[in-house]
Amino acid sequence: MLENIIKDYLINMAEVDPEKFKQPGLTVADLQLDSLGLLEMLFEVEDKYGFQIPEPMRFLSMSFAEMVADIEASVRAHHNGQMPALDAAQAGG
Amino acid sequence: MKRVLITGLGMISPLGADKASSFAGALQARSAIRPAPPSIAERLPQVLVAPAAAEPDQLLDKKFGGLDRATQFALVAAQEAMLDAGIAAPPDDAARFGVFAGIGFGGAHTMDKLYARHFEAVHASGQGSRSPTVLHPLSVPRMMSNAPAAAVSMHYGLRGASNTYCVACASSAVAIGEALRAIRHGYLDAAIVLGTEAMLTPGTLMAWNALRVMAKPDPVDASRSCRPFALHRSGFVLGEGAAALVLESEARAHQRQARVLAELSGYGCSSDAEHLTAPTVLGQVAAMRQALEEAQLAPQDVQYLNAHGTATDAGDVTETQSIHAVWGASARQLAVSSTKALHGHLIGAGGAMEFALSVMAMNSGSLPPTAHLDQPDPRCDLDFIPLQARHGCDVRAVMSNSFAFGGSNASLIARRPAP
Repeated sequence: MLENIIKDYLINMAEVDPEKFKQPGLTVADLQLDSLGLLEMLFEVEDKYGFQIPEPMRFLSMSFAEMVADIEASVRAHHNGQMPALDAAQAGG
Repeated sequence: MKRVLITGLGMISPLGADKASSFAGALQARSAIRPAPPSIAERLPQVLVAPAAAEPDQLLDKKFGGLDRATQFALVAAQEAMLDAGIAAPPDDAARFGVFAGIGFGGAHTMDKLYARHFEAVHASGQGSRSPTVLHPLSVPRMMSNAPAAAVSMHYGLRGASNTYCVACASSAVAIGEALRAIRHGYLDAAIVLGTEAMLTPGTLMAWNALRVMAKPDPVDASRSCRPFALHRSGFVLGEGAAALVLESEARAHQRQARVLAELSGYGCSSDAEHLTAPTVLGQVAAMRQALEEAQLAPQDVQYLNAHGTATDAGDVTETQSIHAVWGASARQLAVSSTKALHGHLIGAGGAMEFALSVMAMNSGSLPPTAHLDQPDPRCDLDFIPLQARHGCDVRAVMSNSFAFGGSNASLIARRPAP
């Protein structure tokens, strides 16, 4: 779910090539986002889950999967260990 | 001194989505003024607005979708002006091509939404876990006043100066004048000038409402509520939109055999140094005389003046007195109109839009009227082209006035290009 939110944003809004997500060891650096692009991507998550993700630049040295796992851990930390269900409007991105 | 030519115009306004339809609307006296939409009328039922004739994001690539509305308007007007001038992007001499922008408020839509989002989250506390501090990361670069100039510079690859002038109602008139100076004195060879404004938001209109300068709705026909120079005037109506002008040195324009619309021949600017909102004859006269002097024209050489004409008592009467002071005995031979009766007051965009309309009036020989001027104020005793456009006029030079809160005055003159 979280991974799809991020992927959908990157493909539809940041014009990242969908083929990239087939790479097994895809890194965040491979997405070629600049610092503003990275913040806009994180805002997709922040907007839906209602908190600001700290220290965004640390994601630049992670794999894509590590970043998604890290963000998921942040979401759970803000929601008593749960991944809150998003309503249709929020999930629609 | 280098001559500076106007080679392209673009516009998106309450009267039309481009310059041709906007000018046609002004000639037809087709008012774009109407009651505010429900989001504003809910708390301010008397407030009138002049919204743009088209949604700017519908006229732009989707990558511009997140930008502030004022920046989107500027991009739409720039698109038409650059096409009109026949300039491909980026130009070969990009380092000698600047961007000059005028805007009064900056990204009012972005700022209004930001506060609305913040306070919604604050007042919703306890019902959810959204932090009121989670805001879009590009809020600052979207609402900054130079966002329109930055967007146009980046989109067209223009690497000369990109400067933004924030001079309230005179913003884009000043931007045109400063671009004229930059080209005339050799700092640049070309510039695109933008005037843009988008502030028909609940927050901004509440602020304007508090100032008591807004027109009261005409009980019979709301579209007739803004009546410059009329006895029963009651103030102005805020509009939104943008205009863009491409300026080039005569040498650059001739080298590429550009079609020339007009010569931008004079600019004057002054400060009243008197009052925050009340205008003065002294300051207005100084701006008009400077513009005439730079253009090397006598007042009688100007056949049409697009007045600032805001339909406030102080503004209309003072401007009439200032025109009398400059034109003297020939004041009543000058044709004057305020097109704000139709498109409202575009604040930062007003100077560029009204100057562009004046250039189109000169080139077509058709002068837009002062609409709804059935009963003139006896203190406003000039030829204000009441009610209907005047066609078939021999116009060799035009002036446009823009006088701002804060006491800043700007006057611009365009004349027919030398054959």
